[in-house]
Amino acid sequence: MAKKAKKSPAKSRRQPSRKKKPSAQRRRWFSWSFIAKAGLVCLVLGAAGMAYLDALVRERFDSHAWQLPARVYARPVELYEGRVLSREGMLKLLDLMRYRRDARASTPGSFAVQGNSLLIHTRGFNDSDGGEQSERIRLSLSGGQIRSLEAGGDRLARLEPLQIGSIHPQHAEDRVLVPLDKVPPLLVDMLIATEDRSFYDHHGISLRGLSRAMLANIKAGGLVQGGSTLTQQLVKNFWLSSDRTLSRKLMEMPMALLLELHYSKDQILEAYLNEVYLGQDGARAIHGMGLGAQFLFGRPLEELEPHQLATLVALLKGPSWYDPRRRPERAMERRNTVLKVARDEGALSSADYDKFSARPLEVVPRGASALYAFPAFIDLVRRQLARDYPPEVLSDEGLHIHSTLDVLAQLASEGALKEHLNHRDPKQVKKLNGAVVVVAPAQGDVLALVSNRDSRQAGFNRALDAQRPMGSLAKPAVVLSAVQQPKTYSLATLVEDGPIQVKLPNGSVWAPQNFDKTAKGAMPMVDVLALSRNQATARLGLDVGLDKVADTMKTLGVTRNIPLYPSILLGSLELTPFEVAMMYQPLATGGFSTRLRSITDVLDKDGKPLARYPVSTDEVVEAGPAFLTQWAMQQVVEEGTARAARAALPSDLRVAGKTGTSDDFRDAWFAGFSANHLAVVWVGRDDNKNAGITGSSGALPVWANLMGKLPQRSLSQNPPPSVEWVWMNEDGRRVSAEGCGNARRYPMLAASIPEDSDGCGTVKQTGKGIKGWFKGLFD
Amino acid sequence: MQRLVRLVLISAVMVGCAVKPVVDEPQEPMTASQELEGSPALSLLTSAEQARQQGDNSRAERYLERALNIAPDSSWLYKQLADLRLTEGDARGAEGFALKALRLAPDHPEYQAGLWELVATARDRQGNAAGAKSARERAATLRDPESRKA
Repeated sequence: MAKKAKKSPAKSRRQPSRKKKPSAQRRRWFSWSFIAKAGLVCLVLGAAGMAYLDALVRERFDSHAWQLPARVYARPVELYEGRVLSREGMLKLLDLMRYRRDARASTPGSFAVQGNSLLIHTRGFNDSDGGEQSERIRLSLSGGQIRSLEAGGDRLARLEPLQIGSIHPQHAEDRVLVPLDKVPPLLVDMLIATEDRSFYDHHGISLRGLSRAMLANIKAGGLVQGGSTLTQQLVKNFWLSSDRTLSRKLMEMPMALLLELHYSKDQILEAYLNEVYLGQDGARAIHGMGLGAQFLFGRPLEELEPHQLATLVALLKGPSWYDPRRRPERAMERRNTVLKVARDEGALSSADYDKFSARPLEVVPRGASALYAFPAFIDLVRRQLARDYPPEVLSDEGLHIHSTLDVLAQLASEGALKEHLNHRDPKQVKKLNGAVVVVAPAQGDVLALVSNRDSRQAGFNRALDAQRPMGSLAKPAVVLSAVQQPKTYSLATLVEDGPIQVKLPNGSVWAPQNFDKTAKGAMPMVDVLALSRNQATARLGLDVGLDKVADTMKTLGVTRNIPLYPSILLGSLELTPFEVAMMYQPLATGGFSTRLRSITDVLDKDGKPLARYPVSTDEVVEAGPAFLTQWAMQQVVEEGTARAARAALPSDLRVAGKTGTSDDFRDAWFAGFSANHLAVVWVGRDDNKNAGITGSSGALPVWANLMGKLPQRSLSQNPPPSVEWVWMNEDGRRVSAEGCGNARRYPMLAASIPEDSDGCGTVKQTGKGIKGWFKGLFD
Repeated sequence: MQRLVRLVLISAVMVGCAVKPVVDEPQEPMTASQELEGSPALSLLTSAEQARQQGDNSRAERYLERALNIAPDSSWLYKQLADLRLTEGDARGAEGFALKALRLAPDHPEYQAGLWELVATARDRQGNAAGAKSARERAATLRDPESRKA
């Protein structure tokens, strides 16, 4: 300020003379000192600009070059002798994982069929137990089982978990990071030969390359080579937006120079290979060769053959112009140009050039990849993860999420739902839709989740969010509540099936009807469940106590508030299919409650274990009542409302379940289980209107179909020590014996076994207790 | 009446048999191979044991979970999980697995008694003294040859 003040009087003194001599002023304007000053300003500005760019380049490159979304994997496929797995199922898995047929299975990710056996070269992977090395295994399959398995000194092998999706909470950039030492050298050779031949010699900008490119383009009469170096292309991809503005062009060159100044050629090459934009998959931008390989060929980059690598290099010229799916001819031509250049540069032999340029593009159809194939399940994983990880960790840090999804169970569930709805509602005029949840009950693993008849569609997740009255699915809770009072009730206890009226506090009357509008009179409790009698269930539930039934529901895993209205006995409580699976899980395991999980392990981007989601289990129902309830639910399938399922299942397989239909045929349910699969099926309409379906007609066929496709184990018929088999008189109050009148055999808790006998039969009637005692004598 | 007569007759036979001295043969201790002989789950169990010796409990747990997928009715595997949870300080988890192991347990009183003791320890650590006491009583009953005959 002080300086300025001094100068201004001098200036004013000079002003009059300036008016007199304008030419002198012009001369001064061009003076050397002015140019020097301007130059200095430019230099300072330029230096500041360079410093800024330098910081920009280094900061981005050093701190975190790539945002890596968390990737979700299905459960690894465990292979061992005796495992139930059909040959068809095995081949389907290999196909989904894009294992290549190769007579000698010479490289990871390939297999050969040799008569009855399969030779598989596995890929190897990381897991929280150390994972698996890639190895060659031989397994023979027959009769729907693995008969023998030879692996490296072990009788166990695992196929790598199939990637089923990734988590993008904030942006839609995706990438499979491939370190330079895992990139096929041929890809690098092709890349350098076609894009930047002097890559290893220049300092970021290549004038020679530019002029050579121009020359080549003139010779060819079109654009065959670009003038930018790989470094410049990386700068474009990495830091600059794609608009072709002058300022962007001006930034590109100094940034390329700076990048070369700070980083090695290998670092730049690795960044380029992982950053380059290769196309668009809906909202998802495909970045990097690793994801490109998956996106186009469904395989890891390491496994690609020369013509496939050339296709990736071909895309660099224009990902959408040379899109091999939409523009196969164009892509093929460009691919062969890349192969030719590689041959001319000595990267590919003439014989290989001839061989691979004759190969088709071999791009997998869009959507054939398992990636994004299971949106409903990925949604569940995302929700479970969101509780434990902030969004930026999920989007950036390349976590590996090992999920519980069983691909074969998922495909069977999708197929069963779709097939059934296409059959019942082919033109979708009834607007039927549905959901399926499949769980491995003992460990609580969610094996499959379907939320739409078109299972590839994301959107409303019916399995998790469609909250519907559960209807008769509530009835096993009534039966369980009753048999937990063994002095009063057993499965043989007669219950009156007839009109019943309950006055509600608001003055109205609750008078449930049976489904067939008839009343069948007194019947044993097991038949009440098997035939799904509403009036008898209501009578029983009110007798047992509404509070007891509500408590049982909570014990089984219902977390919603349960109002103590009599209508809850017949399923007025609204649950989602997933919640029904939670409620039925302890029924399937004989009383052990296990939290349902969709994730087993979380690993960091290098495969190091970060977190486990272990199994845990609580005994919530005693062995005896749990066995009785499960047995009663078996009768639903054996002789009750789910009899139709028997046809789809092996005759010796023991399963249990319950049908459910809500008022006005809005919701059709079936929830049922074997020893190793619990499946819940819901079918209905999104607008909650009459769908004209029942549990038996609308949901049971889906359940039976999918259960029939999965390897099943029977429910145990061995009662726990607290339960005995007893022949009971049809009055439900006296013991009887086999062959006596209408006597039936029931599993009974000791406290339920009446002292009175109907006098028919012999001593054997008291079942296991006496038999066991005799057995003990002779052992 | 008929029932009563029958019961009296049976009692008479029982007394007759009881004359024969009952020798309490000590049972072979329960081992993993009793349940898992020939099963591929056995090698996973071995790996789990090795991981535990190396102090890597979460790896051990993952092996055991895999083994259970292969041999879902193995009481022994659930017992290993219960032991693991107890060493990790998860008493509630240990109790759940020990009770599950008991559900699947073979007819082996000493083994079952050991499991009830595991349940008792787990309950103690959760502050459930009454539950622990009743579990210890179950263990004692199983170990008492007289009560076993009853």
